[in-house]
Amino acid sequence: MTQNESYSRPIPLLAIVLVALAVHGPLLLMQLPSGSFDANFHIFLASHYAHHWFNPWNEKWFAGFSQTAYPPLTHQWIALVSNVAGLKMAYMIVQLVAVLLLPVGVFRFARIWVDERSASYAALGSIFLGALAFLIYQAGQLATITSAALYLNALPYFYEWSTQGSGRALIKGIAVSWAAAAAHHVTLIFGTVLFAGPVLWVICMDALEGRTKGSLAGSVSRAVLFAVLVGGGVGVVLFPYWMTLIQHPIHQIPIPHDSRANFLLNSITAINYFVIPYGALILALPFIVIRGASVRRLRPLLFGFWLTLIFGLGGTTPLPRWLLGRAFEVLTFERFTFWATLMAMPIVGLLAVELLDRFRAKAAVALSLAAVGTVGAALAWLTANPYRPAATVNVNPVIAFLNRDGHDAYRYLTLGFGSELAQVSTYTNASSVDGDYNSARLLPEMTHYGSAQLTNAKFYGSAGMASLRAMLEHANRYGLKYVFVHDSYYEPLLTFVGWRKTETFDNGEITAWSKDDVPPAHRIDSDAIPTAFMGLLWGTLPIGVSVSAIFLVLLLPARQPSRKAIESHREVSEPVRDYVA
Amino acid sequence: MKRTLPIVILIVAVTVFLMFLGLSTGRSAGTVGIASGVALPGFNSSAPNPEQALNNFLLDVQRRNWDRAFSSVERTSDTLNEQAFIQEWVGSNGGLRSFSSLERFDTRPLHATSSEAQMRARLHWSTPVGPVEDVRDFHLAHRGDTWKVIWDETPKPNVPAQIVAVNYLRWDLVTGTAGEEWGAHNVDAPNVRIVSMNAVDSAEGAVVMGEVVNEDTIPAFVNVNATLVDGSGSAIDDENSFDKILHVLLPKQVTPYRIDFPHVSLSKVKNVRMDVKATLVPASSDPVIGVMNQKLETDAQGHSVLHGELLNESGQTVNIPHVIASFYDNSGKVVWVSDGYVEQAMVPQSTESFAVEIPQSVAGKVQNFHVVVNQYSLQES
Repeated sequence: MTQNESYSRPIPLLAIVLVALAVHGPLLLMQLPSGSFDANFHIFLASHYAHHWFNPWNEKWFAGFSQTAYPPLTHQWIALVSNVAGLKMAYMIVQLVAVLLLPVGVFRFARIWVDERSASYAALGSIFLGALAFLIYQAGQLATITSAALYLNALPYFYEWSTQGSGRALIKGIAVSWAAAAAHHVTLIFGTVLFAGPVLWVICMDALEGRTKGSLAGSVSRAVLFAVLVGGGVGVVLFPYWMTLIQHPIHQIPIPHDSRANFLLNSITAINYFVIPYGALILALPFIVIRGASVRRLRPLLFGFWLTLIFGLGGTTPLPRWLLGRAFEVLTFERFTFWATLMAMPIVGLLAVELLDRFRAKAAVALSLAAVGTVGAALAWLTANPYRPAATVNVNPVIAFLNRDGHDAYRYLTLGFGSELAQVSTYTNASSVDGDYNSARLLPEMTHYGSAQLTNAKFYGSAGMASLRAMLEHANRYGLKYVFVHDSYYEPLLTFVGWRKTETFDNGEITAWSKDDVPPAHRIDSDAIPTAFMGLLWGTLPIGVSVSAIFLVLLLPARQPSRKAIESHREVSEPVRDYVA
Repeated sequence: MKRTLPIVILIVAVTVFLMFLGLSTGRSAGTVGIASGVALPGFNSSAPNPEQALNNFLLDVQRRNWDRAFSSVERTSDTLNEQAFIQEWVGSNGGLRSFSSLERFDTRPLHATSSEAQMRARLHWSTPVGPVEDVRDFHLAHRGDTWKVIWDETPKPNVPAQIVAVNYLRWDLVTGTAGEEWGAHNVDAPNVRIVSMNAVDSAEGAVVMGEVVNEDTIPAFVNVNATLVDGSGSAIDDENSFDKILHVLLPKQVTPYRIDFPHVSLSKVKNVRMDVKATLVPASSDPVIGVMNQKLETDAQGHSVLHGELLNESGQTVNIPHVIASFYDNSGKVVWVSDGYVEQAMVPQSTESFAVEIPQSVAGKVQNFHVVVNQYSLQES
């Protein structure tokens, strides 16, 4: 094969997956995400499933909370894999699987819109997305990435079923969609509008142009049937989650998050939530808009991308606040940026093909540098970012203290530990009044204030400190006897409200404070404790649908006619040369 | 193809329009205490009037953009350098201000002409011990096409080198086994007694207050708990004295206490169950903080306030002084307990003023008052 021939062929999907493995595999084996904001949170939830698979009631946070407040799929897989690899490595392995599924999903999703060659470049580019690196290594949003990867893999089945009426596509699409929902609920809810909306639009376009099996009504009917089956199934698979949400709607005071800020007014926020996630894609934005507008078939995708991009800008525009209402103050918006970059990839694939056709090796070098620069900048930002997670704390002495001499008969609190709180909770037998999942909080000392974790109270200003004061005031009520401090900021408060420093750990990095008159902790009554039946559903359905999806995808290969339908749209990849830079 | 240009123009125009709207609508609250960048080039607010100039200045202070903040002030003396300017805002010597973050601020003009303006800012600080409000007046002057904040704050003089002789009582606690927890020692608890208790209704709910004395010859660590009981004997709520008490009591020392029960009315309360817990602790009478020049006054806003000065008589810095004042009626009953934190650290032999507020409803009854001072010192922590 000559060099020119190699540029004009699609990249084999297996090669793309191997590139993903080569790029992210070593970083994950080095456990780079273990310092991310949410990695310890996911590991903590997984550790509970590893010990209590059918009992979602977890006493270790918030004096007791139900894990049915968060879809369990990724955590249950970590719990399963942890039996052979340990919790932390199991997290990395599950994350790696999600990363490998993502380019496959992008390739299949891109094939709805563009030819195979462009789709292969889209898939290759998705490995190097700044937003992906940001979510894996800084945010630790395992569930968001897994769900997005599964959802992208489900959408082509939706398209195939709606346009061709393929029963296999229906079955596989539904199973993969259920698995996506079992991984992350927010992705499914917003994915329905942002991802599936443009696909439905293009299904209608195809039907009107006679490229589908049957009429427009037939295609739309099939799409509706798919949606009904997915919706009904998600209702059943996540039934305990919906019951929890209905029983305890999220009424807490909004918690500040910088992804809701106006990026134009804050350079650090702009870099963190726009420049780093988009990286070199910023240079491609004009092409995306112009090509998306000029090719009729790409317009639904362009519109979906644009809407997702606007959402990803958080409070830079008022549109998300208008459309989401109060949910605007509950959601965080970095995930929308990730989705926007995924939606842009098919058009970016077209750009790559056009550049390679025109400039060959020069384009290959430039595109490679852009891709590596984007992912490299996201990794470099891990240390340059002022919002980065706090430096790793050696929590082993704290864990050892809580697990000895009956100290676990009382509850504890950490201050200044950041995401390491979850690490302490994972390995200690003691229970904390704090926790790292806002939507699961029910204690009034936390829900009545616009503050998230007590361990990070100072970053939420007066609201955070008021929440902490409220909790310390009720220390006796909750059996809260020990406070571990990794930030001297909190020491004046503890001194004035009657706590005494009793021990220091790790050369004074951590101090232990105690209150003398606190009775041992007792179980806090709650109407949120799931029934045994709910526990059974939670322990079987989500993991069950994911295993079913794997078998169905492997055992029911796609039939030839469905490929033909996709091939028939190759013309969309024909470049409109007028717009090539 | 005919639709390409209109679609592109529409997308760009709507995006720009939405961004413009975003600039004119309110900002979402963010986290505090992190240097959080500046507006992107072209999006900085200009200062065409004194209100905007002061807002921009305080926003830079809030974001800790010290270079920008310092560049927007006009110094009255060359000795007022940037370091002194920063120290004025972030505090020094480990005082409460050095733990604080400017959370938000409100400004209003007091007096303005075309060349000069006097502005008042209400600064809301987030601190470890709770929110602190600070009222500060700023003088601004029109210079060229912009307004400048006149900065004439004089840095505090350094304490001269000196030797301070200390002669104070100290009680150490010797335990047999170092591994034992605090409070679990095999000695009798100090003899501590509640000498008075008064329950009243306030705007925020029921309040139980009074005084506790350490009648022993050893220091005590004290916590006072109160349980409100209704007519049927059921507990309505239980709370404790939290930071409205001097927890470490030296022998014969008296402390006021106050226990708040938010959203509880005394009309439902039949009985108040009091419980004082005392534990033997090591303690020291140093640092000695004197209270001077106390007087009850009415401030400019009509609030009754107890003003006074604290004198650090010791040779060590007191980082955060905490004033707790008890107020008595003519029969000697405690009618209110107020507290307040002093924002500046007290270096040895220095004085700092304090002020604690009294609710209007009890101000008329106050005949006498007593002030005790609690403190946090980095040296001891």
